[in-house]
Amino acid sequence: MAQIDVVTAEVLRNAVVVAAEEMSSTLVRTAHNPLLYDVQDFGLGIISPEGECWADAPGMTAFVGVLSHTVLSGIAVHGLENMRDGDLFIANDPYTTGNHISDVSIYMPIFHEGRLVAFAAVTAHWADIGGKTPGGWCPDSVDVYQEGICFSHEKLIDGGRPVGALWSIIRNNTRCPDVVLGDLNAQIAACRQGALRLTALCAKYGLDQLHAAMRLAIQRAEDDARGQISALPDGVYTVSQRMDEDGVARGDPFDVVLTLTIAGDGIHASFEGTSEVRAGPVNCPEHAARSLVRAAIKGVLSPTEPANEGDFKALSFDIAPNLVVSPQRPAPVDSYGYMCIAVWELTMRALAMVVPDKAVAGGGQLCMPTLSRVDPRLGTPFVLADPLDVGNGARPNVDAPTMAIPTMGDVPNMPVEVIEMRYPVRVERFGLRPESIGHGRFLGGAGVRRDYRLLERGIMVYTAFENVGDPLGRGRDGGLDGAPPVVVVNPDTDREVVMKSRAGIGPFEPGEVISMRSGGGGGWGAPADRDPAQVARDVRNGLLSEADARSIYGVVAEPA
Amino acid sequence: MTATASIPSHRIAIDVGGTFVDYVLLDEASGSITIEKQLSTPERIVDEVMTGIGRLPVALSQTSIFHGTTVALNTIVQERGVAVGLLTTAGFRDILEIGRGSRPEIYNPLFREPPALIDRFLRREIAGRMDAQGREVTPLDLDQLDREADALVAAGVEALAICFLHSYTNNTHEAVAAERIRRRHPGIALAVSHELVREWREFERTSTTVLNAYVQPPFKRYIDALVARLEGAGYANPLAVMQSNGGVSAARRAADRPITTLESGPAGGVIGASVLAAELGLKNVICSDVGGTTVDLALIEDGAIVERNQTKIAGRPVLGPTIDILSAGVGGGSIAWIDNRGSLRVGPRSAGSSPGPACFGLGGSEPTVTDCHLVLGSLDPDRFLGARIRLDVDAARGAVDRLAGRLGLGRDELAAGILQIAESNMIGAIRSITVKRGLDPRDFTLVSYGGGGGFFAAAVAEELGVRSIIVPTASATFSAWGIVSSDYREDSARTMVRTLDDATAREIVAVARRLSADNVERLSEHNIDAGRIRSFVRCDVRFAGQEYTVTVGVDDDWLQSPDRLLAGLSERFVDMHRRLYGHGEQGMPVELVTVRVRSIGHVARPAFPRARDGAAPEPSAWRETYFRAEGERVRTPVYDRDALSRLFAVEGPAIVEEWTTTTLVPPGWSAGTDRIGNLVLTAKAEGEE
Repeated sequence: MAQIDVVTAEVLRNAVVVAAEEMSSTLVRTAHNPLLYDVQDFGLGIISPEGECWADAPGMTAFVGVLSHTVLSGIAVHGLENMRDGDLFIANDPYTTGNHISDVSIYMPIFHEGRLVAFAAVTAHWADIGGKTPGGWCPDSVDVYQEGICFSHEKLIDGGRPVGALWSIIRNNTRCPDVVLGDLNAQIAACRQGALRLTALCAKYGLDQLHAAMRLAIQRAEDDARGQISALPDGVYTVSQRMDEDGVARGDPFDVVLTLTIAGDGIHASFEGTSEVRAGPVNCPEHAARSLVRAAIKGVLSPTEPANEGDFKALSFDIAPNLVVSPQRPAPVDSYGYMCIAVWELTMRALAMVVPDKAVAGGGQLCMPTLSRVDPRLGTPFVLADPLDVGNGARPNVDAPTMAIPTMGDVPNMPVEVIEMRYPVRVERFGLRPESIGHGRFLGGAGVRRDYRLLERGIMVYTAFENVGDPLGRGRDGGLDGAPPVVVVNPDTDREVVMKSRAGIGPFEPGEVISMRSGGGGGWGAPADRDPAQVARDVRNGLLSEADARSIYGVVAEPA
Repeated sequence: MTATASIPSHRIAIDVGGTFVDYVLLDEASGSITIEKQLSTPERIVDEVMTGIGRLPVALSQTSIFHGTTVALNTIVQERGVAVGLLTTAGFRDILEIGRGSRPEIYNPLFREPPALIDRFLRREIAGRMDAQGREVTPLDLDQLDREADALVAAGVEALAICFLHSYTNNTHEAVAAERIRRRHPGIALAVSHELVREWREFERTSTTVLNAYVQPPFKRYIDALVARLEGAGYANPLAVMQSNGGVSAARRAADRPITTLESGPAGGVIGASVLAAELGLKNVICSDVGGTTVDLALIEDGAIVERNQTKIAGRPVLGPTIDILSAGVGGGSIAWIDNRGSLRVGPRSAGSSPGPACFGLGGSEPTVTDCHLVLGSLDPDRFLGARIRLDVDAARGAVDRLAGRLGLGRDELAAGILQIAESNMIGAIRSITVKRGLDPRDFTLVSYGGGGGFFAAAVAEELGVRSIIVPTASATFSAWGIVSSDYREDSARTMVRTLDDATAREIVAVARRLSADNVERLSEHNIDAGRIRSFVRCDVRFAGQEYTVTVGVDDDWLQSPDRLLAGLSERFVDMHRRLYGHGEQGMPVELVTVRVRSIGHVARPAFPRARDGAAPEPSAWRETYFRAEGERVRTPVYDRDALSRLFAVEGPAIVEEWTTTTLVPPGWSAGTDRIGNLVLTAKAEGEE
């Protein structure tokens, strides 16, 4: 094994992270689809010939975690010895990639002087994948065939020559082929940028030095993680979460059960006790579930370091087949996003028992109203999908903010002035929802309330709530739970309707109001331990009523 | 103004930095300059500024002063502003607290943006609503306005901020509210969103307005104190302050809008680089300002400084045109350390000026980048800052040795390694700003300045494939030179989202004319002849349905005919979009988002010196210096910068020294001057011996 000095090791480790960031810039710069350049619904990284992640770039944590497995399953299909310079592979099979079918992975082996350096890999949400629901995210598919076309590690480019038949299939089976092919080309451009940087590093430092540097970086990340885990008390931590329903078998709840076992310098995750695979599309591909467990554990062990495979080597899994977290073909998976968030929250909930100073209490579940009009006879068609900020879980020593869900990456919310310019709605209110706060010594974040007055006719509203029955925003150590999300139609009128489950409602008349209210985060520590001066400030700030100050906190305070 | 005010014969740039106050005195008639430096102490900054001025060979009454200040920036970073109350649209008082809610540290569950600067009970809602087209939906409730403003003042705020929804398109409610409050509470500082920015996105606009209110009183106190001292010393002209957009503006006006001065210092260097680039005919330049704590990077692309319209200060967004500057946490004071994984890291922690690097002998014990340069023989301990500070070589060696012992490395090996890692951090930052724009660093010239600009330039350039470097004359005070070269500059912008068609083109012409007239009126405060003012129009446009825009320059003659404007704007936009993003078709529907007008009142520039032809330079000394390419110390000639010539290049390895800057010329590079006296480093072509 090549030896490497401490300086070259650091220079190369940095350079590989920068290469991943350059791939990201290239993708964002050349993509056609706002989901990529605005919402950053993608993940990318550089993966070693052994299928280990060398570096990632900010994107969806769920995607980044499955890249290495995607490449490994491709190696299993083709054999490393059959991969050549100029090949490029495509995969979105949920059961081997760990994504839903709209998230298509492209990966490319990189060669230097005839030797394999690494893979550049990019997973991105395509604008359409040819399933029953335009744009993907089927809420009620019963099998994967309804969800879209499936790629299983085919060569999209073979030794530098595009495989025409496959490109033609893509063009003819997606609803907006120009955007899709534009994004596919952006993914390829990103892989090529990664290849360019890595081959330049090989030319300067040599392939063996690069491999040695990255092996060392991975080893150090692993040692760091194992060292930290060793310092934790051994123990078995079981947590569970009841989910409302799967979208097909309406009103039929099911459970996700996670057991983390900390033993020595490793953490073992088991989903024993979790419900079996469901009829509707909430099933979460196994590698996505693993990826979310990994992301949460990294979040407490090394939250600010760029990720590499070493972060995850101390983790092992035991997941039986055919659970809701290990569906087999052809089980539907297209709305697995709610489960992803629940799995991350469950992992964090278990970790909060072990490393309370680095964890957070439970936060709100995804709350994304979709306002749309499809019938052009009723007005210009539009779709407004507006994922709302939620209350994050309280931190062990400080109140939590209202912001994006922790697994959603670096994605900003949509300004009211932009919404009103683009869509036939007026937002009459966008603010904190104090009644959703999980009380405690430290407060969970408030959910938000966003009221849309519909200004034109023919508008439909789709909402999908999860974890209304058993809120994700659980309090810790005596902290109270945050409230689940809810939608109120025409609030404070005699036409008021309160809805708490999946619904497509409308069409509405002009002037009607849809009030979306996202979930709050759980509190940390008993309310009685909150600093009374803080309680008084909460009352002054209108986050707490005088009555609640008295009954929950035992504090008498006056409003401003 | 008193009768003594006259056309000044001299201009002074005063650039206040963390460690030094830099001065450049320009004789407007001859173009010659004089440089001065003064240590800066934050608590006594006005005194220090005056002390340094006292050493300049000019009567203050004969000068005009351009000032680069960090007062507004430091007030925000250190959270030392005043209590502010916010008046905003009913239903939206939490905008400031919710922000945009994204998570750049994707794994970190504890990540959060900084908490709102204003407590919720000091954020008050006023009924009154415009829609996105600027039509009034609900009239402004004046009684409520009075009540809430009174309540905030009674609660003890020192400043008020007003930001209403959609005021970027119709400012009537804000203007009425502002006038009413100014009359009712004349003693309270007031920031009004549409007076600062006319661009959409309510959180960013509110944040900008609130930050402005937050720093207004301390900034004004500072400016008032400085002006009083200057006038006491005979100064008679209006003081001008450097802005983030790269131009200067009257201090009186800056005091109302200190938010425009945040990048005051670094902007000066970029302006300086652009002046050099224009003179030398360089189209593409990487501007690199290597300071004590950070390297500040900017780009000049195809002759134009790359700007942005939004930036973040201490995690808080600020709208308004600003030079796009990326700061990376590595500079002369950056500390080398071993992280918890055993990796050797450099920065972002810096020893600053106190205690400073170990070699300053002020108590620093950890090895810094400057210590490594000293240990390796690159830096002369007896000539640092013109020998005003004598560097302690033994202290530097001790600091490096302690870390070397832990890593099992030799002293030189570690010191060279620390510098290589510092360089790799700079290289990564430069790669990211160029690649993000689809540019190849090999197409650029590196202009490297700041106290450390000469140390890293060649090593960084080599790795990036950059083959030509300029280290400007007096590079440590180059930002001040840039400030003295800056023009008066006013920016106005108006967001007006609509399909780009004939009617919109006519509207653009009308709005551009109005904004331009506003700018000219402001510039007239500087007694600038209207004939010396030029205005430039740019438009932010995008394909319909896109979120982000591309800023497209509008040619003057397009404004004569809406047809030509429409055609020219669409065509140029699509070209730029294709270059930046790789796709885009002529004929796809295009939307206008924002019209921008910049007006510039030109000042006399410093004259460029003519480089000496001179004879082949002789070394002034020889030093044993470590070069990485050699892997060991080699006997290296040291040249005085003044001895260099444009006719005779010096081959590396060599060192070039001047008062405030040392430049390394590694093997494979040569050094000479250009025709205006800048130090130029050139990489040898491949295979050339």
